[in-house]
Amino acid sequence: MSRRELDLDRALADLAASLEFPPTPDLAAAVTARLDQDPVAARPARGRRWLGGLTGWRRLAVAGLAVALLAVAVLAASPGTREAVARRLGLRGIGVELGGPPPSTATTTSGGRLDLGLGERVTLEEARRRVSFPVLVPHTGGLERPDAVFVSEVVPPGGRVDLVWRARPGLPASGFTDAGLLITEFRGQTTPEFIKKVAVAGQVEFLEVDGEPAYWFSGEPHFFTYRDSAGTFREEQTRLAGNTLIWQRGELTLRLEGELSKEEALRIAESMR
Amino acid sequence: MEGRPLDEQELVGQARGGDARAYEVLVRRYQDLAFRTACVIAGGSADAEDAAQEGFVKAWYALPRFRAGSPFRPWLLTIVANEARNRRRSGRRQDDLALRVAEDRPSGDAAPSPEAAALATEQRRLLLAAMGRLGEHDRQVIACRYFLELSEAEMAAALGCRPGTVKSRLSRALDRLRAVLAEQGAAAAPTTLPGGDR
Repeated sequence: MSRRELDLDRALADLAASLEFPPTPDLAAAVTARLDQDPVAARPARGRRWLGGLTGWRRLAVAGLAVALLAVAVLAASPGTREAVARRLGLRGIGVELGGPPPSTATTTSGGRLDLGLGERVTLEEARRRVSFPVLVPHTGGLERPDAVFVSEVVPPGGRVDLVWRARPGLPASGFTDAGLLITEFRGQTTPEFIKKVAVAGQVEFLEVDGEPAYWFSGEPHFFTYRDSAGTFREEQTRLAGNTLIWQRGELTLRLEGELSKEEALRIAESMR
Repeated sequence: MEGRPLDEQELVGQARGGDARAYEVLVRRYQDLAFRTACVIAGGSADAEDAAQEGFVKAWYALPRFRAGSPFRPWLLTIVANEARNRRRSGRRQDDLALRVAEDRPSGDAAPSPEAAALATEQRRLLLAAMGRLGEHDRQVIACRYFLELSEAEMAAALGCRPGTVKSRLSRALDRLRAVLAEQGAAAAPTTLPGGDR
């Protein structure tokens, strides 16, 4: 080291000694509290590999606890990409199929329909009676009353509700149907690291809605695989093929799809109650 | 790194086996390191807190994939720093290195005179200000080395680069810092940098 280098080296060490970082928050307490809330975390990760862990989880999930939601952003439908995504997930062995072109169920050919292949069409009040969780609706931009409500009581356990809004100013049509906004609600658990593992660069952004984890998928059709409250792996795809926000509210997983900007999506998500 | 308490691996082993209390001990042990690393990467302390907390939660879920016997710190820092980078990218407020130079904490040996202490403080402020004028990557690599005192492997983990490139990155960043200081020194009154940085 030259004299100059030594001087700078020493000056930086001296600076470091008198530097004040912001006080460290009590992360240990916060992290422990979060893990305590999570039934999966409370009886954690076993086995050296993914499959070992999943086998353990499958057993645990019989307890009827909501487990995991896994979201997959597929850049292209090529078998190569699918293979790559599946490999990164370490899921090939359990036969979860990932990717593929936007499914035909996503589209309806007849114009003017809001039917997205979502289940039985009911009123909002009826949907509230039929599912085991409180159905939330946005309280912003005149979205308090969805234009159509669908309920599915069988899959996943606990039921699922889909709220659909017709395209209108501020809610552009999706390109497939007249729908401008679709919000899906069901009991399930998002697990950030699953999403992380398949976060293709630029495709998934990690956000928060009301302090809980949220994921913003932009641009491409997406597929989701999640574990429902009975522990079964299920596959889901987005239906509007627009941008998608997935977030967690307690034991609920919510998904919002539409040709919306991130800010608009977040505003709607935060208004849900 | 060598010289860590022996029971780190035991704690990691217990945590991998599902012992949340063992994990809590690990979190407590490394929360300063994780939070400060996140501060350096993410900028603001609120983002850093988020990032560190989320990083610890994700690390818990990822423990089954942790290779037994390998060092825990770089592994943890990789996860925390990724979280911090995500937050920085998501474009929330970035009050840059939220660091301050302590007023009244003499770094030297014997208690200096008030004048000398003030001069030393001023010098440190200038150095910190010079760092603030560096690019993000230069600032981070210097902060990792000097403020966090990370090993090369840990720096690579925190910065998301290959361990082989850490040294050259640091040396280039220091060169640029030197250049900024020279510029600053030329602009400021020469008496504000007595001796120290020539």
